[in-house]
Amino acid sequence: MLKLNRRAFLSASAATLATPALLRAQSGAIKIGTLTPLTGVGGTYGPSMRDAILGVVAQVNEAGGILGRQIEVASEDTQTSPEAAVRAARKLIDVDGVSAILGTWASSITTAVAPLAWESKTMLMCVSGADSITKLPHQGFICRTQPNSILQIQVAGDFMVAEGATQMAWIGPQTPFAASSIDILEQIAAANGAGMESLIYEADKSTYRSEVDQILRGKPDFIMLGGYAADSTVLLRDIWQAGYEGKIIGPAYAVNAGLLDTLPSAVTEGIYTWEGAPAVNSAAYANVKAILGVDEVDPYSAQTYDHASLTILAMAAGGDSSGDTVRQNVRSISQGDGQIVESAVDGLAALAGGINYSGASGPCDFNEIGDITGTQFVFKTISGGKPSEYKRV
Amino acid sequence: MLSYLLATLTFAGVYALLALGLNVIWGMAGMINLGLAGFFALGAYASALATVALGLPIIVGIVIAIAFAAAAGALLSRLTLNLRGDYLAIVTLGFSEVIRLIAANEIWLTNGSDGIPGIPGPLRGTLTPLEFNALSCALLFAAVGLAWWMTERLRRAPFGRALRAIRDDETAAAVAGKPVRRYKVQAFAIGAGLLGLAGAAYAHFTSYVAPDIFRPLLTIYIFLALTAGGTGNTSGAVIGAFFVILILEGSRFIEPLFHGLSGAQGAALREIIIGSSLILIMRIRPQGLLAERPPKSLRTQ
Repeated sequence: MLKLNRRAFLSASAATLATPALLRAQSGAIKIGTLTPLTGVGGTYGPSMRDAILGVVAQVNEAGGILGRQIEVASEDTQTSPEAAVRAARKLIDVDGVSAILGTWASSITTAVAPLAWESKTMLMCVSGADSITKLPHQGFICRTQPNSILQIQVAGDFMVAEGATQMAWIGPQTPFAASSIDILEQIAAANGAGMESLIYEADKSTYRSEVDQILRGKPDFIMLGGYAADSTVLLRDIWQAGYEGKIIGPAYAVNAGLLDTLPSAVTEGIYTWEGAPAVNSAAYANVKAILGVDEVDPYSAQTYDHASLTILAMAAGGDSSGDTVRQNVRSISQGDGQIVESAVDGLAALAGGINYSGASGPCDFNEIGDITGTQFVFKTISGGKPSEYKRV
Repeated sequence: MLSYLLATLTFAGVYALLALGLNVIWGMAGMINLGLAGFFALGAYASALATVALGLPIIVGIVIAIAFAAAAGALLSRLTLNLRGDYLAIVTLGFSEVIRLIAANEIWLTNGSDGIPGIPGPLRGTLTPLEFNALSCALLFAAVGLAWWMTERLRRAPFGRALRAIRDDETAAAVAGKPVRRYKVQAFAIGAGLLGLAGAAYAHFTSYVAPDIFRPLLTIYIFLALTAGGTGNTSGAVIGAFFVILILEGSRFIEPLFHGLSGAQGAALREIIIGSSLILIMRIRPQGLLAERPPKSLRTQ
């Protein structure tokens, strides 16, 4: 039998640790990092989020790079775990020397990685919605393309009232936006003379029968779902079995294609969904479709396409590849009176005359704390298991 | 690069503290504790709240964290004294889930799933990130050294011998007049205290705690660390922890050697490397890198 003695073990360890030094030898290129969930709960989104960034970088490199240099992408996996993501971010910052980390997904992961980013002057662009993120002392090193949860819930709550809700209900798992969702809906309900009940449940359960009974006791006529795809699938089935006949609205990332495939169309008939509307008719959106080779781009990949484009244009505008340059220039190339551009390559060509980048996820304008503004929302309704556009606001 | 190495060694130090704590509970006394993440979370939250909400110095926060985790350990083991094996495993796993759910739902105390950001670290902000990582690494190594020394003494003392007797045959130990119940509670409390210390160290190093951090995967990593290092062997616990971090982090640098992998394939490859390395070490050295040897007693030295 093979024996592993202590000396062999130590030399193998040393060899593994020495490997990064070899990989680092190829310098001169500008480094940006992707930190998306490739495994774990977010694993369905992360790979294409990463591919969208790689696609933008490939297009820019083909057009000659920026600042006379090529761009290289270092990718790491968050494993949808804050603990693993912090280790991955350390590697991106300290070993690869990236000046921007793009595409963090879960809010807890963005919050965990954020201090590393601002302490090492690395730009962090995320798709997380928790309100608390942009309130961190990030000195401008964070911006996000995902509308914060307050805005999302306000838009949906107004929609519920406009559709005639008189007794509203919110039901979802404990998340960073559960409490604020309930607060906002209560305010909207009170302002419109409607009732409002809420229930927080434990995610990962195989049935929500008792939770459904409890929420239906208040006789709601419009229920908002607050969870993700897996728990919403179970919940919707139980709501249907309980004989509920009122209206239901859920976020599009929860009531997604997978959920509609899993559940019979009778269960999902008439459910409303809403999401920050990707700019589906824009050239940027068409570009992401071409990069990913798909017909419909998920909102997160549209956003990471914008992350990469914004980062590259900000570097080119500032004439330097540091994270601080991205921080200082990201607003000057994304908003204002400049020429509207929808890809990094077009933007680089028009940079001298002043540009306003408008992306696949929307206009990409940021306020002073890094929140996205001016996002459009699209409401859809499910009919025969297929979503169709209902209204835009 | 240096900064990354220092940060990685700091994480390895946290894992080593966890492995040393588990070694007292499981390695020496034979009580299966699948609730590592719960005690880790308890320590992290106790120290985070003491320093952020109450404004106490970090060192006081750490002492509180150790005390909290040790008290919880004593209580839990007192309640489960008659449980062994699978049943104790179930209860402790349940305990860690309860702690995680409390952290997620008692928003007034723990800030819910938003977590607690901005936990102070020693001289954080006045030092550069590199210097901070160097200081953290030095402090963690000192803590691991101290914990190693103390648990090694424990192992060689009559107390350690009695624990091994309890582990191998509880009834025989009781017949021989050892206070089995008291020793089990004490061992569990000491181990849990170390787990709490690890939690506090993690919170102050990374500056952020949230319920998502304390999922059961971490518990599995630490069990692997201890089994790979050598269950019951104090030095083995430390070496095993460094070995697990070496595999977790080292596998990052193997993936780029394979060109043309998609993101998901690369991530899967990394998980395959991590899994198969651990299987390999178990296959080659089933007793762990350092096997447990009966220690010389302290007096004969």
